[in-house]
Amino acid sequence: MSAFFLLFLPVIVPILGGFGLLIARFKSRMVRQIYVGAIVIVNMVLSLVAIFAAPKGQIVTLVPFTDTFSIALRLDGMAAFFGFILCTLWVVATFYSFEYMKHEGKETKFFSFYTMSFGVTMGLAFSANLLTFYLFYELLTLGTLPLVMHAMNPQALYAGKKYIIYSIGGAAFAFIAMVFIMYYGVSLDFTFGGILNLTQIVGREQWLLVVFVLAFFGFGVKAAVFPLSGWLPSAGVAPTPVTALLHAVAVVNAGVYALVRLIYYTFGTVFLSGSWAQYVVMSAALITIVYGSSMALRTAHLKRRLAYSTVSNLSYMVFGLTLMTPEGLVGGLTHMVVHSILKILAFFCVGAILYKTHREYVYEINGFGRKMPITMATFTIAAIGLMSIPPLPGFLSKWTLGTAAVYSGNPLAYAGIGVLIFSTLMSALYMMQIIFKAYFPNKEIDVAVLTKDVRDPNLFMTVPFILLSVVAIVLGIYHQPLMDMFSNIAHGLF
Amino acid sequence: MGNNYLIIALVFFPFAAGIGSYIIGRFHQLARDVFLYFALALELTGACCLFATVGTVDSFVWEGFASLGLHFKLDGFHISMSILASFIWLMTTLVSKEYFKGARGTNKYFMFILFTLGAMQGVFLSNDLYTAFIFFEVMSFASYPMVIQNETEEAIDGSNSYLGFAVFGSLVSLMGLFMLQSILGTLQIDQLIEAASHVTNYALLYVASALTLVGFGVKAGMFPLHTWLPQAHSVAPAPASAMLSAVITKAGIFGIIVVSCNIFLHDAQWGLAIVIFGTLSMVTGAILAVFSNNIKRTFACSSVSQLGFVIIAIGMQCILGEHNALAVRGTVLHMFNHSLLKLALFMGAGVIYVCMHTFDLNKLRGFGRKKSVLWFVFGMGLLGLAGVPLFNGYISKTLIHESIVEYIGMMPEQTAFAGLMQTVEALFTFSGGLTLAYMLKIFVAIFIEKNPDNQAKLDAKKTYMSKLTMGVMIVSGVILPIIGTLPYWTQDLLADTAQGFMHGHAPASPVNYFSLINLRGAAASIAIGIIVYFLFIRVCLMKKNENGIKIYADVWPSWLSIERMIYRPVLLRLLPFASALAARTIYVAGDTAVRLFRKLLFFKSKDVFTPPTNHRFGTYDAPVQPKRIINKSLAYSLLLFGVGVVAVMLYLMIINAS
Repeated sequence: MSAFFLLFLPVIVPILGGFGLLIARFKSRMVRQIYVGAIVIVNMVLSLVAIFAAPKGQIVTLVPFTDTFSIALRLDGMAAFFGFILCTLWVVATFYSFEYMKHEGKETKFFSFYTMSFGVTMGLAFSANLLTFYLFYELLTLGTLPLVMHAMNPQALYAGKKYIIYSIGGAAFAFIAMVFIMYYGVSLDFTFGGILNLTQIVGREQWLLVVFVLAFFGFGVKAAVFPLSGWLPSAGVAPTPVTALLHAVAVVNAGVYALVRLIYYTFGTVFLSGSWAQYVVMSAALITIVYGSSMALRTAHLKRRLAYSTVSNLSYMVFGLTLMTPEGLVGGLTHMVVHSILKILAFFCVGAILYKTHREYVYEINGFGRKMPITMATFTIAAIGLMSIPPLPGFLSKWTLGTAAVYSGNPLAYAGIGVLIFSTLMSALYMMQIIFKAYFPNKEIDVAVLTKDVRDPNLFMTVPFILLSVVAIVLGIYHQPLMDMFSNIAHGLF
Repeated sequence: MGNNYLIIALVFFPFAAGIGSYIIGRFHQLARDVFLYFALALELTGACCLFATVGTVDSFVWEGFASLGLHFKLDGFHISMSILASFIWLMTTLVSKEYFKGARGTNKYFMFILFTLGAMQGVFLSNDLYTAFIFFEVMSFASYPMVIQNETEEAIDGSNSYLGFAVFGSLVSLMGLFMLQSILGTLQIDQLIEAASHVTNYALLYVASALTLVGFGVKAGMFPLHTWLPQAHSVAPAPASAMLSAVITKAGIFGIIVVSCNIFLHDAQWGLAIVIFGTLSMVTGAILAVFSNNIKRTFACSSVSQLGFVIIAIGMQCILGEHNALAVRGTVLHMFNHSLLKLALFMGAGVIYVCMHTFDLNKLRGFGRKKSVLWFVFGMGLLGLAGVPLFNGYISKTLIHESIVEYIGMMPEQTAFAGLMQTVEALFTFSGGLTLAYMLKIFVAIFIEKNPDNQAKLDAKKTYMSKLTMGVMIVSGVILPIIGTLPYWTQDLLADTAQGFMHGHAPASPVNYFSLINLRGAAASIAIGIIVYFLFIRVCLMKKNENGIKIYADVWPSWLSIERMIYRPVLLRLLPFASALAARTIYVAGDTAVRLFRKLLFFKSKDVFTPPTNHRFGTYDAPVQPKRIINKSLAYSLLLFGVGVVAVMLYLMIINAS
């Protein structure tokens, strides 16, 4: 198969499949589930084939506008890595949502957009240049909007509006950068080390830095970077599979991915490193970390608490990226993997609590530990992982980020370590509160009455929990190949 | 050099055994107990076998484990600590059966104590601060269920502060380790000296090491991070307290030794700081213990104090430089003596608890009369801990005391520094006296005084422990005078084995432990202790109650607790509040920008975005309930626009392809 099909199929199959779901009328729920499951699994296989078999670096042009301006796909190390996370976690989340979406209703609509988003994010991962990237970035916003507004109640509509305004507005900033890069860059194709034409920009460095900062905050919307992170906690009203997959993994990681592409593949660290722009963006990341983790501690709603935790964790990655060293990139990518797995697990567990018992606040889960053993045990693993306790993988990413910060020698980065530690302390507090409540209920509460009909969900849910916990533990202990790959990516070798 | 697989087996066997015991315990309690004894005996044998392998292959390296790899190494100190841990685990587990009779959740408890043992071995055998840190963390978390085992309000509170301090300490340590890694380029313990000698920026090295020290200092109960220790140790089940006090605190000491005796080998400034913190812990712990009326709390406070002695010894090693033989040997021996003493004492407390279900000194008065085994164990504990000659604590305390005296003697004239050291020496003697005083308080109350209410009922309790427990108690009690009276054949050997780790040498001539000058130091301590007991404890800390009977009164003001006054409010209230406030204040700027942006975009329809009255885009008339989703919503229009774009693109592609 040619590179064209290898890269194009994972993008188009779920998009068409999702449309098919809207048009076709399935007789029974079962048939539809099989159809969705088949599309997702087939697409995972297609994606994996693409990731492992497609020729690296070969550009596949889909729509040529001009010589330098086209819609094109390409596989490189970053794309392979991001695509891999997406396609594996997507399948897990789909099976979880088969069970979960029973109680939300409007499943056909949900699954059609859910599947379409899969294709769009794969397109985002495989984008070869800024234009394609921008296209898929906008499509992702549009494709996931119906998912956020799924419940169609006032809060959901409000959240949806907030989401679309923030995202589209952010993309507008990024658009400015695209225009400048078209003019001042050698091409629009992502190249490790940057694509600025360094002779042409002499004398206009300050303008380009301003443009970079604008683009950073524009793309930063999806990565929930200060000051445009407000949409993420509000979007917690979406069904849990959406918050888990999109708002802990796909969409928000797409934001971080966009920043990687922006910093390392477009503007280039040589140009940015040491400039005032670096300090601006790094401070933004640090403020977000403090904000997210302190707000999480002060939020009693479980899903929103995790959403705030996501806000702060995303900025760990952004902090790693803004170090603008290869080690920093490695740290950011490591945390992306680690956080994706742990946070999707945490969200799934909280979703299971919501699904089985309709409890959504920290103070409502007294004594659930013994009643939902698998759910709470796996949640504990996720929580301890996020608190970065070895040997769970959270420690690994904290370690890589911390050492990267020290090695960078940047004075603000030292403050950054302090912020990381503060945030970890906060995450220990907000996570342990949940676990304490679940395992050691208040004595004055009659737990037996409260948890009468509480039990673990069925295998559609618990199997993903256990799978993800096992992956997390294994990743914490053995991750050398992964780290080697990151190191290769971060040195532009892959 | 190849790998010594015995090391890795020792570390990971307890983890496997823990899971095994849990599974067996689901089916059969007795089988689980037998399995536990067997597994722990095997572990102890394995640890002893390590001595046989020294000199041939004495390291284990697992490259790539958790990125930096695991590094283990053997020398006398590592092995001795490993044997100590296995021994104490075995002893405490032997008495656990009786202690937990009829209790729920013991399966879980035994699983976690085995996990903790595995992590302990990982710390004690590690040759790498990174490896040590990983296992240190696992240990903190695996020991948490041990502390909370009783699940009472106090247990939950105590274990919360245990966990809080552990997490705080480990994070600060982690920051220190980041910095050390970047300054020194290695965290391998046997390369630290070499790496530290090339460091130019000394200030940064001090900062990094001080941060690293915090995490270890928390575990070692170093002032002012000691407040969790009395709480956690007094709420944990007695066998768990014995492990916590005897071994887990030593993991903290291990870390302090690694930093002080490698990175800052013979660095007097660092040593002075350590001595000061050690002195503060020593005095604070002893004073708290004097005031306590709960025997387990007294023992826990005493742990803080005794670990303070050890920390002073570590500091003295750095101050004395090349001539630190006494301090080195004092460090090692006091660590071991304290472990053995606390093992005996906490197990004794456990036996009392099984009978009386309380640790309150007033209720336990007269309990020990006519109970000879208990009397013997507590007596040995009292004499050993107080440093009475011929008992084990005397030897190590003498060594530490002598090292301070030696340093004062070495200084040429009166300086501020000398004055400081003389203060330390005086406080050392004083704390030794307090040790005797608080132990006397317990001993007199339990074994000499009569219970004012029901002495006859207490005397009637003849069988207050099982044969097995009695055997264990006698063994742990008998060890103490033996190693105390025969220091040259027991303690000196241990010191010879272990001193290499701290880069110490054997002293030029053997120490005469029972010389007149050393005995005089002990006598001064004992005199102070007796004075404090009779003039302070019996006078000020005993009040008459309404029946006219003298009881042990709780005089310590309850509000006077650093943790409740400072740590908890700061961590739980002030810090999240302040940072959220700061972050939100900055956020106002961002929100304003967004609001402005929104206003600009939809300037005609100011209230369009205020839910719940009108919540669709671009519509101003009365809301109509949408029947289908494709109605008037802007989102949908945008979506269809997206669809159109895709369609156009596909068309273009087809054109392009043809």
